[in-house]
This record gives sequence, structure tokens and C-alpha cells, in this order.
Amino acid sequence: MISLSVSSAHPPHGIAISVQSVGLTYSTSVDKKPTIKGRIRRFGRGGKYSRSIDAISDVSIDIHYGTVLGIIGSNGAGKSSLMRVVAGIIPPSQGRVEVYGSVSTLLALGVGFNASLTGRENVYLGGLAAGMTREEIDAQFDEIAAFSELGESIDSPMRTYSSGMYARLAFSVAATVKPDILIIDEVLSTGDARFKKKSLNRIKELRTEDRALILVSHALATIEDVCNEVIWLHKGKVMARGEPEQIINQYREFMQVKRSASSDEDV
Amino acid sequence: MSAPVNIPVNIPVNVYEPYRAGLPPLGEYGRSLWSRRHFIAEFSRSQLREQNYGSFFGQLWLVLNPLLLSGVYFLLIFIIGGRGGADRYVHLTSSLFFFYLISNSLTGGVKSITAGQRLILNTAFPRIMLPISASVIAVFKFVPTLIVFFVIRTIIGAPFSWQMLWSIPIFILGVLMGLGMAIAVSCINVYFRDIASLLPYMTRSLIYLSPILYEASTLSERMRTLEIANPIFNLLDAWSQVMVYAQAPTLSSLLISLAWATLILLIGTYFFLSRERDFAVRF
Repeated sequence: MISLSVSSAHPPHGIAISVQSVGLTYSTSVDKKPTIKGRIRRFGRGGKYSRSIDAISDVSIDIHYGTVLGIIGSNGAGKSSLMRVVAGIIPPSQGRVEVYGSVSTLLALGVGFNASLTGRENVYLGGLAAGMTREEIDAQFDEIAAFSELGESIDSPMRTYSSGMYARLAFSVAATVKPDILIIDEVLSTGDARFKKKSLNRIKELRTEDRALILVSHALATIEDVCNEVIWLHKGKVMARGEPEQIINQYREFMQVKRSASSDEDV
Repeated sequence: MSAPVNIPVNIPVNVYEPYRAGLPPLGEYGRSLWSRRHFIAEFSRSQLREQNYGSFFGQLWLVLNPLLLSGVYFLLIFIIGGRGGADRYVHLTSSLFFFYLISNSLTGGVKSITAGQRLILNTAFPRIMLPISASVIAVFKFVPTLIVFFVIRTIIGAPFSWQMLWSIPIFILGVLMGLGMAIAVSCINVYFRDIASLLPYMTRSLIYLSPILYEASTLSERMRTLEIANPIFNLLDAWSQVMVYAQAPTLSSLLISLAWATLILLIGTYFFLSRERDFAVRF
């Protein structure tokens, strides 16, 4: 299980995450929701109950401390799946993942989980679930609230939040806990221009020798600006890895999109 | 699991590998669960607040609801059985309130995993925390009804004795039974989402199969065979013995209840733990 509470001692440029020939196969139900009714209806007809999807196949990556790794790729490339495997949320189907430090994740869905609770309650619940102590959250709460710029809305139910407010709070939580390894998956896109800039600055502040950052984004200009290494995933495989500029150009050529406003930033 | 502060350089803090259906390392799982005990408390509190039990009238409803229910059921047994009586009312309320401890755990637990989808997809934590929280909430809801019950039995003049301390182990068995059921049913609901819709019918049947509207001793020999299929029959009977008549429960009823509670908890937990790593891909 992950823990945010204690930063482990590790050498700069030491290995942070080792992904060794990892594969992930989802077996999803054919039904939208699996039910007994659905089972009975198909009983004896020999229909398939589930189909399998190879989300990641044979991916090997070593990520060192001091790296800001950008992950790019088209929809369905397996970026989010890979991040969930690295965070320990979904076990891999093949291979092995070794993580050498505390991980904080900021995945697409954002902080907390109960929209009828307030932002404050969600921060506490999310933090406690991730293994922080109440005192640790207490100590950081004001900073989180201030960074999110939610003001008094922090005590309103999260169902009243706009998607931008949601993203702001989620980012503030993940960026304030200062873990060894921070994974940010596509959450900056919903913030407004000012908050996006503020978040980017925060990410730049977090770039230190003893921290590893992983950034998943379709905003290629952001990736090029922030990251010092890029991995391009396509259909669950690593297509290329290397210097941001070079990999992004390859990706642009492959996708046949020229450098434009729409490929640089989320629209 | 909390990472130790001074970690040797090349020992990974976490290793994730494919799993075959089987249990995760139990020691590590237990430590990880224990380190998140505050989550369970906070989660239960926030759920109660969400259901308005933080307000005065919300808490009043917590007491009014079982009282009204027991009134309705008393009407039913009075009309059908043609017999009321104070001791029957005490039996009815004690058994009904205790039954709701178990059934609240069950109904709160059934959707605990599917409703925790956001958290499950975003954070790695022992998933069993969610059905455990459902059982904790059921206990919180039970406490006020217990106080009301003691007021009722004092007014009616039911006897008190030291034998009533037997209610403590029976209460613990009831909590464990509810917990086992919550864990099992929350896991089943991930794979068969219509279990949640079937559940009201199951709990309703369980009310009628249990010695709540009637006393176990009044059942015919033939009908008593039904108790074999009902995990909570002996537990409710023992509770009634202790709480209504202030007498020690029979040893057999305690042992049978203990066996049922252990069985349900072990099987439920086994299935849950061997399946929980699969939950995140099931949404």
C-alpha cells in the first residue's frame, strides 16, 4: 500500500520506479453493469460474459529521482492504466513494478470521492485513505486551501463545485503533500489559464534532485516546457523515449498534426 | 504500511506483481489497515452527517424510526395473534432493534465498494475499510435505540440482573455477524449489481424467519427446523433471553451463533481479500 506520510531517504538520481516487462489485460464485462439478470438471460446460449483488452503490453521503464517524465500518446494508449499500475491501484497482469518511495497520485478523477461531502471533508478522507495521519493533514490543510483559492467554497458540498474548482482542489492536495514520487494525470486541463500557470510553476518548484515527477498530458507544449524526459506510448507499447523535443516531434509526425494551438494546449 | 524513515537504498518500498486468486500478505495488509483506522472513524462520521444524523431532528429520527416500526409490528402481532402484553412488546423491541444492528450493516455495506468508486480508482488502500465503515455506522445507529429500549423496559418493569452482562458477548457476536455479511455482500455486489435491489427482500424474509414477531419457544418442532438455515436465529433468541427476561442464554445458542459469525466472517473476508485487487478494473 502506498504511504504519503514518510519521505524515505534515497540518493539523488537513484532509482525511483522500476517497471519490468509489465503487461495489463483488462477483462471487462460485456454488460454495462454485471447483473444476475444478465447472466441468466445469456445462460445456455454460449455467449461471452466478458472480453479482454490489452491495455499495456511488455512495458519496461526505469525512472530515476530528479526526472520529470512526460508521458504522451493518443487516447487509449494505456497512459492512465500504466499510472494506476505504478500507483498500486491495479495489479499488473504480467511483469513487476518496484517503487522506491512514497507516491502521491493525482489521477483523472480528482480528490476524495463523495460529492455530497464538503471539499474539506473530502481532503481529510482522501488523505486518511492514502495513509496520512490527521495531524499531517491538519498541518497542511491551510496551505492546501490557500493554494486552491476556493475561499469559503471549501466548506460547500463538492457537488456544487465546477469542474475547474474540483481540479484546483485536487491539484492543491497532491502538490502540497510533497511526496517522493508525484504522478499527475491530465488534471491541469480543466483549470483556467491563471491556475494552470500557477500549477505549472508549482510543478517546476517540485522539480528537485530527490523527487520524481510523472506528468501525463496531451498539452505537448507544457510537457516540452516542464519535462526533461518523455515517453511516447501507443496502444500499450513504448514507441520511443528520450529528449522531449525529439520525441514530441516524432509523435507529431506520427499523428500527422503540425504544431498548433490545439496540439500545444488542451482546448 | 508506513515506510520506515531510513530505507536501505535498493530495497523497494512497494512491489506490485500479478496475483493469482489468493490472499495478499496478511501481516502487511493488517498493518496497512490498522494505520488507516482514523479513516474508518472519519468516514463513518461523515456518512452519518451526510444522512443528516448530525442534526437534532436527524438523531431524533434515529430513535423514532425503530420506535414507529416496533409500534407497527406490535399492531400486526396484536391483530394476527390476538394477544398483546407488555412482555411481548419488550421482546419485540429488543429483538427488532438488535436485528436492525445486523441489517443496517448489511444494507449499508452492500454498495460500499461500488459507491467508493472514485476513491478506489485514485488511491491504493485496503478496500475492506469500506464495508468495515458500514458496520461501524450500524453500531452508531444502534446505540440510541439501545438507550430507548432500556427506558421502555424500565417503564414496563422488566427484571434486571447481572445475567444481563451476557448481552456484551452477544452484542459483539452481532457486530461480527453484521460485519461478515457486509464484507461478503459488498464483494458480491461488484460482480452482480442487482444484489442491492434483491437485498430488501432478503432482509424482510430474515425478519420473518427470526424470532422477532414471535418467540423461539412458541415455534412448533417442525418450524424450528427453519432455524438451521438462519444464521441469526439463535443469536436473536439469546439476546431476547438476556434483555427481556434477564436470564443467561443457553450455551448451545451462544456456540451456534459463534460458529455462524466466524464462518460468515472468514468466508466473506477470504473472498473479499482474494478479489479486492480486481475491484478497480470492474467499474
